[in-house]
Amino acid sequence: MKIPLHMAKEKDLQSAGLVAVPEKEQQQALLKGIDEYRHWARSIMVMLETCTKCGACANACHSYLGTGDFNNIPAARADLFRKIYKRYFTWTGKTIGRYIGAEDYDAETLAKWVTYFYQCNECRRCAVYCPFGIDTAEITIAARSIMSAIGVVPRFMTGVAANMIKTGNNMGIPKPATIDCCEFMEDEMREETGLEIKIPVDKPDSDILYIPSSADFFSNVDTMIGVAKFFHAIGANWTIPSTVLEAANFGLLFNNDAMKEQNQRMRDAAKMVGAKLVVQGECGHGWRAAKMYTEGSNGPAPFGIVHILDYAYQHLGKLKFEKLPWRVSLHDPCNYARAGDIIEQPREILKACVTEFVEMTPNRERNFCCGGGSGILMDEMMDIRMQLGKKKAEQVKELLPLDFLATPCSICKAQMPHVMKHYGMEDLKMGGVMDVVGKAIVLA
Amino acid sequence: MLYFVGQVLPYIAGAIFLIGVIYRVAGWLKAPVPFQLTLFPAPTGGAGRVAAVGTELILFKSLYKNDKNLWLWAWVLHVSLAMVIGGHIVGIYFLMNQFTLIGMSSSASQATSAFLGTVSGIALLVALIVLFYRRLANPEVKKLSDPADYIDLLFVLVIALTGNHMRLPGVHVDLPAVKAFMGNLLTFSPTPIPDDPIFIAHFTTVMLFMIYFPFSKMLHFAGFLVNRAMLVEAAPVYPTPAGTPLRSPFAGAKAPVADSGQAKGVQA
Ligand code: HEM
Ligand code: SF4
Ligand code: SF4
Repeated sequence: MKIPLHMAKEKDLQSAGLVAVPEKEQQQALLKGIDEYRHWARSIMVMLETCTKCGACANACHSYLGTGDFNNIPAARADLFRKIYKRYFTWTGKTIGRYIGAEDYDAETLAKWVTYFYQCNECRRCAVYCPFGIDTAEITIAARSIMSAIGVVPRFMTGVAANMIKTGNNMGIPKPATIDCCEFMEDEMREETGLEIKIPVDKPDSDILYIPSSADFFSNVDTMIGVAKFFHAIGANWTIPSTVLEAANFGLLFNNDAMKEQNQRMRDAAKMVGAKLVVQGECGHGWRAAKMYTEGSNGPAPFGIVHILDYAYQHLGKLKFEKLPWRVSLHDPCNYARAGDIIEQPREILKACVTEFVEMTPNRERNFCCGGGSGILMDEMMDIRMQLGKKKAEQVKELLPLDFLATPCSICKAQMPHVMKHYGMEDLKMGGVMDVVGKAIVLA
Repeated sequence: MLYFVGQVLPYIAGAIFLIGVIYRVAGWLKAPVPFQLTLFPAPTGGAGRVAAVGTELILFKSLYKNDKNLWLWAWVLHVSLAMVIGGHIVGIYFLMNQFTLIGMSSSASQATSAFLGTVSGIALLVALIVLFYRRLANPEVKKLSDPADYIDLLFVLVIALTGNHMRLPGVHVDLPAVKAFMGNLLTFSPTPIPDDPIFIAHFTTVMLFMIYFPFSKMLHFAGFLVNRAMLVEAAPVYPTPAGTPLRSPFAGAKAPVADSGQAKGVQA
């Protein structure tokens, strides 16, 4: 079986602090990983043992709907894990395995795991529609983490992890470049508004630590500018950390230990500047990691954690806007709607900023993923990514003409232009919600 | 043989059923939940959480949103199953006179009881057949199914058939004798099983099903509760309130490269 991903080699693994397990020992290592994981997190055993194979999740998953590949049905995807789990960890699987669908580990097992657990966007839509709330994203997270611990991981992920270790952000931006970028953006804003709007880096004694997405320094500059204008408008004492220029936490997407470490960086940075509040930028899974995983991965946190869209929403009454004459819709990032409780805030912000806001169908927690979620942004996955984006494209097409589509998540922002181009909508303008704030806000 | 079926097997079945279910559920509960898995929009407050899980339990809401056809038959299956199980407990205990408690005459109560029992029994049978057919007819579900998924349905089907058989016109089961037998079983002073082949067939398949239950996916009823409880857990709040215990050992362990050179660089 051909794996559609470029896998990490020995030196890629090393650069990410991982080690390869020789092929002969892979089976044992994988089983050991499963055994540890099932005692480590309750969700695995419960979700593996509860599925009744009713098939209701099939049409909930954009991955199956887009690819038509049976193994992308959530229950079938989880079954790749379940079959091995049953065979080696349940009485019935050990004795009458065939009868309950248990399967021996074989030469194809890992290839199937990598292939299909990296075609799940960890979007949690299946959990909304399963009668038991079985969340196949949980199984995917477990499978990816177990695999990476034995050195089976896409090179893309180790690349991100290596950048993270070197520079504290996914893109590998060093501190001098960060400062250059901020100065450039400050110049832009001065030209546009005539005001001195700062983007402070590593400023000691800041109340707010703002953690942007590193992509906001390259492709999504407008998001960073919108955020800076907003902070300026409310007179915030804020800074960004050059050491964690990254709201994303790719650890969540391939390895729980890496997730824990990245989370610790956020804590260290907050402590360093004395921040009482950490504000997370527009990044979907990064928000989930910050909101839902901070306590669980490194214990109690002494500071508040809020999302920039929630924070802006709380200050909406104090802001002045000149409405843009635009017809705008919102793509709910999965990790906001289903995994992060950012549902109404972006809507209210957009309604304050533009003349016409329209909903796509379905929306909110029923929204379809863009197809890039969980970090499937590898070039070699482009064909599959376009299939994963099919449902999204259909949703957007029904709303045309649109002046702007808000996709307030860095992964959506990276994936959506490809999807729109592929499905013949290359003219559609897209970007973050904070981009729109930046354009509509009236500064004194 | 009848001695074994009527006076030994029930205790074996009961013990395996109880111990098996408890053992498996305890196995799940032993593992910590290292992270909140709250699925949004989430209910708030204890009452809200109970209400959310309760409506799921009673109405199968998620399934309704998703697949109305499957919802209908799964719901009919479970409601009729609940009625049948409830009817066994209440109806046999009161010898079908349970509705006199709400003011009916004895004969009206017996008629109502017989009617509800018959309707539920038939609904159960029909739902099982439809779901079995669906498993074969829907290519996705067929491919997902393991042999056990068909056998589970057939197993319940046999129980429903033997049960319904006793209700056929012309078939008479000595209900007071059954009541006495069951009562004695439950008070641990077993007496011989009523010598009625149809009842014995029904009773034996139920005992076998109880033995089978903890090893099968029938445990989905418990999985439902444990899983839903995770999905409606309150999201964490920050700053973490004083006195919040560590969720799992993972939270207490030191991060792999915590306090790395990176963080120190801030001061430089
Ligand atoms: C608590 C909430 C429950 C939910 C949401 C639920 C849901 C389901 C679903 C979706 C199916 C699949 C139907 C199919 O075969 O296509 C099913 C089957 C079944 N359930 Fe439940 N169930 C629940 C509780 C229970 C309980 C308490 C029992 C009683 C023992 C039970 C007994 C069965 C049986 C006998 C089947 C059919 C056999 C099978 O397909 O495996 N269920 N249930
Ligand atoms: S909807 Fe839930 S129970 Fe049904 S097959 Fe999918 S995961 Fe299993
Ligand atoms: S999490 Fe999303 S992509 Fe993954 S199986 Fe569920 S619905 Fe499909």
